Amino acid sequence: MIRLEPDPLPGRAKVAAVYAGVLALAFALAGAVFAAYGVGPLEAYGTLLEGTLYDRQGLAEVLRRTIPLLLIGSGLTLAFRVSFFNIGAEGQLLLGAAAGGAVALFLPSSALSLPLMFVAGAVAGGLWTLPAAWLRARVDVNEILTTLMLNWVAGHLVIYLVNGPWRGENVQGFTYTDEFPDLARLPHLGDTLVHWPTLVLGVALAVALQVLLTRTPLGYELRVVGASSRAARYAGMPIPRVVLLTGLLSGGAAGLAGVGEVAGIHYRLLDPSQLSLGYGFTAIIVAWLARGHPALVLLTAPLMGLLLAGGDLLKISLNMPFRVIDVFSGLMLLCLISGESLARYRVRWR
Amino acid sequence: MMEEILQALARALSFGTPLLLASLGALVNERAGVVNLGVEGMMAVGALAAFGVASETEALGTAVCLAMVVGALAALLHGFVTLTLRANTYVSGLALAMLGLGVSGLLGKKYEGAILFEPAPELPFTVAAGVLAVVLWGLLYATRPGLVLRSVGENPAAADVLGVNVVAVRYLAVAFGGAMAGLAGAFLSLAYRPAWTDGMTAGLGWIAVALVIFVGWSPLRAVLGSLFFGLLYYLQFRLQDQSQVPTEVFAAMPYLLVIGVLALAGLRRMQGAAPAALGRPYHRGER
Amino acid sequence: MKRQVLLLTLVALGLAGPARAEDSKLKACFIYVGPVGDIGWSYAHDEARKLSEKALPWLETKYVESVPEGQALPVIDRLVTKDHCKVVLTTSFGFMDQTLEAAKKYPQVAFAHASGFKRAPNMATYMADFYQVYYLNGLMAGALTKTGKVGYVAAFPIPELKRHISAFALGVRAVNPKATVNLKWINAWVSPVKAREAAEALMAEGNDVLAFTEDTATVVQVAGRKKVPSFAHYSPMHRFAPDFVVSGQLVHWEKIYIDFLSKVRDGTYAPGKLQDVDYWWLLREGAVEMGGQPGLPINPKYEDALKKAQMTVGGKQVSVYDRVMELLKDMSSSKPTFDPFTGPIPDRNGVMRVPAGKAMTVQDLNQMQWVAPGVTGPVADEPK
Repeated sequence: MIRLEPDPLPGRAKVAAVYAGVLALAFALAGAVFAAYGVGPLEAYGTLLEGTLYDRQGLAEVLRRTIPLLLIGSGLTLAFRVSFFNIGAEGQLLLGAAAGGAVALFLPSSALSLPLMFVAGAVAGGLWTLPAAWLRARVDVNEILTTLMLNWVAGHLVIYLVNGPWRGENVQGFTYTDEFPDLARLPHLGDTLVHWPTLVLGVALAVALQVLLTRTPLGYELRVVGASSRAARYAGMPIPRVVLLTGLLSGGAAGLAGVGEVAGIHYRLLDPSQLSLGYGFTAIIVAWLARGHPALVLLTAPLMGLLLAGGDLLKISLNMPFRVIDVFSGLMLLCLISGESLARYRVRWR
Repeated sequence: MMEEILQALARALSFGTPLLLASLGALVNERAGVVNLGVEGMMAVGALAAFGVASETEALGTAVCLAMVVGALAALLHGFVTLTLRANTYVSGLALAMLGLGVSGLLGKKYEGAILFEPAPELPFTVAAGVLAVVLWGLLYATRPGLVLRSVGENPAAADVLGVNVVAVRYLAVAFGGAMAGLAGAFLSLAYRPAWTDGMTAGLGWIAVALVIFVGWSPLRAVLGSLFFGLLYYLQFRLQDQSQVPTEVFAAMPYLLVIGVLALAGLRRMQGAAPAALGRPYHRGER
Repeated sequence: MKRQVLLLTLVALGLAGPARAEDSKLKACFIYVGPVGDIGWSYAHDEARKLSEKALPWLETKYVESVPEGQALPVIDRLVTKDHCKVVLTTSFGFMDQTLEAAKKYPQVAFAHASGFKRAPNMATYMADFYQVYYLNGLMAGALTKTGKVGYVAAFPIPELKRHISAFALGVRAVNPKATVNLKWINAWVSPVKAREAAEALMAEGNDVLAFTEDTATVVQVAGRKKVPSFAHYSPMHRFAPDFVVSGQLVHWEKIYIDFLSKVRDGTYAPGKLQDVDYWWLLREGAVEMGGQPGLPINPKYEDALKKAQMTVGGKQVSVYDRVMELLKDMSSSKPTFDPFTGPIPDRNGVMRVPAGKAMTVQDLNQMQWVAPGVTGPVADEPK
């Protein structure tokens, strides 16, 4: 008879081992799905690793995807700590991109353009989270549904803007705005698409949020609220305010990622489906893997960036459909949360 | 004028059927205290399973059954992770949605663009949904099994003391929820738009989850709620050229409405109508 | 003696060299913006790719589907450096800037971009357009509608759509000057649910013939179930409602591909010579075809009705059927005389857009923002 008993103080090594085990399970299961589709798992994983790690182009692709994951993931890590499950990062990214685009297109360009764009993007992303965060903080409305719905609303809003009032003059009537002026474009690393200022921003944000968490009063409140709402109430902490602020912060981070995408890759605002490529959802895994420490996002974001780039490679080399990534993400997430649960238990044989 | 109203009603019934089916399923498992956000994914695999069987064999009955089985199995996965492993139930549902969409998109590749030449009629599904709503209402409020289900959701400790196997009841409820989501998916791919396209669930699963909260976990009100959403979706196109309002506003309306509804429900403290133990895992001996 | 042998060997090798090059295949790689199963735009390109490969024994192809717009460049990088593609064809407007960048990066590779307008010494552009076919479809729709209301389900308000809708409306009105073409936008290229609800709404409003520009067969199916005639779009959709598909538009990208790739192969279109290569191919070149499926321009079930319907052309009464077939023949010939967009044509607000006696240039057509009279429904970005 197997019995699961709660293990109050799981050792670090045990937790790591359990995580490694479930990750391996996730890869094995994904391999089984590949096989069902008709592609050998070893071939798939081989292609994935070889194409991403063994050459400059591949690494650039990994980095390019890591950038938004770093930004969004850091914010989400904090949000998850207070159980604010923000799955609206896709929409917040779009709003950030729109705000940044507005600054680029409608304000005279100068050396301040790019910083202004990022600020605008962060504000817009935060504001887009406000309804969901407020409803959760005030009346305990499930933020998963509200943030998710706002994704779709954001998409329609951006389509309206790009098709209507912001449509470009020089785009032959297609669904784009005009191109951003030179001062509103981010420089690239060599001839790749890696817009390195945003990368630096992402690293800085991860570190800054870690510092916020461990060394500031707000961070302390965050940690207590996340650990035990009872203790927080006993200590007189304003739980709603903490949840609200954390939610807004995570939205702002996603907004920054949006600015990065339009100022670094597309140089214009375009159809949302081309802009938000699932980073918001993948960042959930990034944040989950980071287990509440924004600094760990520096490790987990490249890992998921690797998987995303690898998924694209599977598409290019083996003509697998892009849904492959969703299978991966879903399996990884399931295995991760199962692992987290399992690590909290001891197995007892009787 | 009469024709207008009848037409609107017909569209509302058509679009509302998968919503009603999926939300009745979600209602049952939430009444038992388990949240399953993965409805979208279960619908997608159900839709694919049904379409696959129907296009290979033309046996519509088998297609529907398989869709329900597949939906239930997917839900049981969530149940295992949530009830036995006691992992975070919300994230588990989210992961299931992702996984369901991914698997169906991947395995459905070979059916992409294919069309069913003998589509299923919509009426049986709609009638079944309506009948189910009434049956569930009766079951939940007037029978013993219904009482057991509700008690497991309101106060599992008390139910446990009285000899109810809380985890088993929850597992059954979750499986039922999955079967209903699969059935809704089958409706989509066999009757509503008899074809397979990746992503054909189009967010309906999420709207169904919101619908349950909207109607306060009541099966009869779920009928009205799904009709309402169906009407709204239809009006999105019907009203397109009647006003200066840009088309995107209409397109965004269903989602804005869900937020509005959730906000209203929260502000009026309707959360009190939720099963008290909703979303909380049951541990015997824990407080 | 040794020297002569050496010389002969060298000559022989020299001759064999080019011969070996002739045996080697030309590798052409295609990049699609959507999945190939979508029965729409990307599907048509892929079918054309397969047909080209079959027709040209020295051609080897590869494709990548569902590439988002900001990611064309990394995909091209990989295709050129790892898969050794010598020709890269990018099949969506949104790939334009990154294709241009790639063209500058890889001057030895020939690039071709569909539906765009930027070119380079090694980057050509190409397009197969339907406006003539939509005009002919419009004539038939005008003849078949009993309520005078023709419905149109449209994806996005881009010039391509406005061109199609306007040509369609001009055709409808040529037969029935009081008829209207009623638009419903779904803001998506692929959304069966939206397409269905839009079609249902149109039929509820009294539209008894339907046409569309979006990438699924939903409208055909939905209309067929309600016994409403419709016009197929882009791919053969006749089989989805054989009794109710009147005609449609079909594309044959392979005509362009075979021409382009052959000319790349024999040097006419070697990289460096593509600055002015711009395909704008229509009925004359066979790049587009009228019909619900290849070889079936008009559904026989509707022939009688179309023959009975009359219209006035130059003061004389002509049957719609005859007019359609006559114009089809003219526009498919090597010297077409008829163009649907010959002036005078005002837009639907009354502003004259095409003066009398003039036709629209390719550039005008590519940048079209106005819509023809008879079109009802909101249209984004209409010029005043």
